[in-house]
Amino acid sequence: MKRFFAALALAALAIAPVFSQAPDVSKILRELDDMGDFSGRDFSAVYTIVSQKPGEKETVTQARMFRRDGRKQFVLLIVMPEVNKGQGYLREDDNVWFYDSGSRKFSHSSIKENIQNSEAKNSDLTKRSLLDDYGVAATTEGTIGKYPVWVIDLKAKNTEVSYERMKLHVRKDQNMILKEEDFSVSGRLMRTTLFPKYADVGGKLIPSQILIIDELNPGEKSQLTLTEQSVAALPDSVFTKAFLEKVNK
Amino acid sequence: MKTIANIAFRNLSRQKKRSVLLGAAIAFGVMIVTLINGFAGAFVSNVSDNFSYLLAGHVFVSGVEKTGAKLDKEIEVIRDDAVLTAALKDAGVPAKYVTRRSDFDGSLIFEGKKVFHSIAGTDLANERFLRDRLVLKEGSWDNMKDPRAIVLSDKIAGKLNVQVGDRILVSLKTAAGQNNAGEFVLAGISFDTGILGSLMGYANIAYVNELLGLASGEYMTMGIMLDDISRTERSATALYDRMKASLQLFDRGVKDEKGATTPFMAMMRKQNREQWNGVKYRVFTLNDILAQVQQIVDAINIAAFVILVVLFFIVMVGITNTFRMVMYERIREIGTMRAVGVQRGEIRSMFLYEALFLAIGGALAGIVLALVAMAVISFFNLGMDSPLFIILKNGHLSFRVPPFQAVGNVLVIAVLTLAAAFFPARNAARLDPAVALRTLK
Repeated sequence: MKRFFAALALAALAIAPVFSQAPDVSKILRELDDMGDFSGRDFSAVYTIVSQKPGEKETVTQARMFRRDGRKQFVLLIVMPEVNKGQGYLREDDNVWFYDSGSRKFSHSSIKENIQNSEAKNSDLTKRSLLDDYGVAATTEGTIGKYPVWVIDLKAKNTEVSYERMKLHVRKDQNMILKEEDFSVSGRLMRTTLFPKYADVGGKLIPSQILIIDELNPGEKSQLTLTEQSVAALPDSVFTKAFLEKVNK
Repeated sequence: MKTIANIAFRNLSRQKKRSVLLGAAIAFGVMIVTLINGFAGAFVSNVSDNFSYLLAGHVFVSGVEKTGAKLDKEIEVIRDDAVLTAALKDAGVPAKYVTRRSDFDGSLIFEGKKVFHSIAGTDLANERFLRDRLVLKEGSWDNMKDPRAIVLSDKIAGKLNVQVGDRILVSLKTAAGQNNAGEFVLAGISFDTGILGSLMGYANIAYVNELLGLASGEYMTMGIMLDDISRTERSATALYDRMKASLQLFDRGVKDEKGATTPFMAMMRKQNREQWNGVKYRVFTLNDILAQVQQIVDAINIAAFVILVVLFFIVMVGITNTFRMVMYERIREIGTMRAVGVQRGEIRSMFLYEALFLAIGGALAGIVLALVAMAVISFFNLGMDSPLFIILKNGHLSFRVPPFQAVGNVLVIAVLTLAAAFFPARNAARLDPAVALRTLK
């Protein structure tokens, strides 16, 4: 029995360096970027956002998202609540327009703006390029629940991104972000995002449940759930202002 | 002619009740129109005054820089203060004081309570007028020595339930649009005595710059408070001409062909279309910002004029009928006057004099009544938390009737009354003396 434990200890010592070896972070980030990139095909899904704020009634926002990453386009059409039904966001390249179905007018918005009254931002629902926008400041090890993770500390290379610094907790055995912490320019933790569930959509793993916690406003959080994911081709007319106007007629 | 005028005046006093009623109708119309004119006249000056204190200036200079990989993003920043200060001095602008501010809209958070508020970063050591106008209820200006100090109004402090010395989180976007967070220390709570107190919080510009991602010494807007608000446009033009020689500037005072309704809007549109390197400046005034307010005032004045015309059309019908009646009543008197040698023109003049005296008397009474009404209305304090606060003067409705407008109204009334009395006067003048003397009432 002693021999068995000694052999086990030796084996553990032997394989330990393999597991603690510094990971290829660029490769991880590239794979994460690829996973959220639907370039070459279209993507659509229904997002249900449940927002909680202390002292306020829980609000539910449901939106149908149409993405065409190849052309940096998306359309987000609000379907719930009834009062906001018909409102929408259209992204073309770096421009985002908000369509108000009440006044039937478009106004310029930003990829960095929050969606309706939730903690989620437009940029949370679109393709992002971690590798282009961020540089790796540090990589450490940690665990999230039972999963060993790489904790990758990223610092923005430009001011185009919403957060100056972010910490990604990426599963070691599979490239999946389990937790993301977003920091302000001053270095304060502003938002924690958890990704408890993933779904396979067209061969890509994308989060199907996201929990966003506002760290500045204790008790404020939003839960995003993805359903009806599809990579079926969408007509070009979807990514136009006319589409948002038409669906309201 | 003097005798005819005397007779006309005597005729008016013979029928006191009728004259008073007609005069009262004219006076009422004049009073209403003068009140509307008075409100519109003070509207611009009150809004201008309130905004000049809120924005800390009459003439403003701001800078815009293009950033981003494609130079398609803009940040508001003035990086070189020395060049602007020199231009201001060379232009000979009569500045009472100059403010340099950076500001943002962000969420103030304290123990689960959140308020979206505007924060102005100011140099409190030099911005003396702010200290003079902002009365502290709690705390002191000495507390502002803390670099993270902030002064909030009573109302905002109440909403957040904060006390002097409490630390307040702030969430905002930097000048480049990134998320940022910071922490203020409540240095003072101001009375809500004016819009200065309730619309903005005030913090040290150095810390506001740090939160916005601007360097020390940089700022967003230079505000120039002048000795006299009437010098605003002249001063702006002088400063603009001086800056034009050495700095990149947006055109001012020019509307574009693409539907911009004000020169300021045209300037903002141009900013979105153009590309440039470095900081490009825009010089603008309170009048540019409040151009829409002037449009509202113009609309009010037009409405007042329409009301004047409608009211006097009704009064004119009354005057015409009354003078017809008067002519009928005095037909034998007219015949006698004609028989003793009074000429037709003099008879006509007598009626027209009566109408003119009535118009002037009624109009003057109307103006006096309007002044009394204005004094009574402006006596009531509506409070600075009133939704109307921006058009109020220290919580009171105020009025200002431009003299030329009052004179103009009197002239319009005089002309209309004369026109109303003209036909009965002409008919009276054309009466055959023999027929008039024979007529039985």
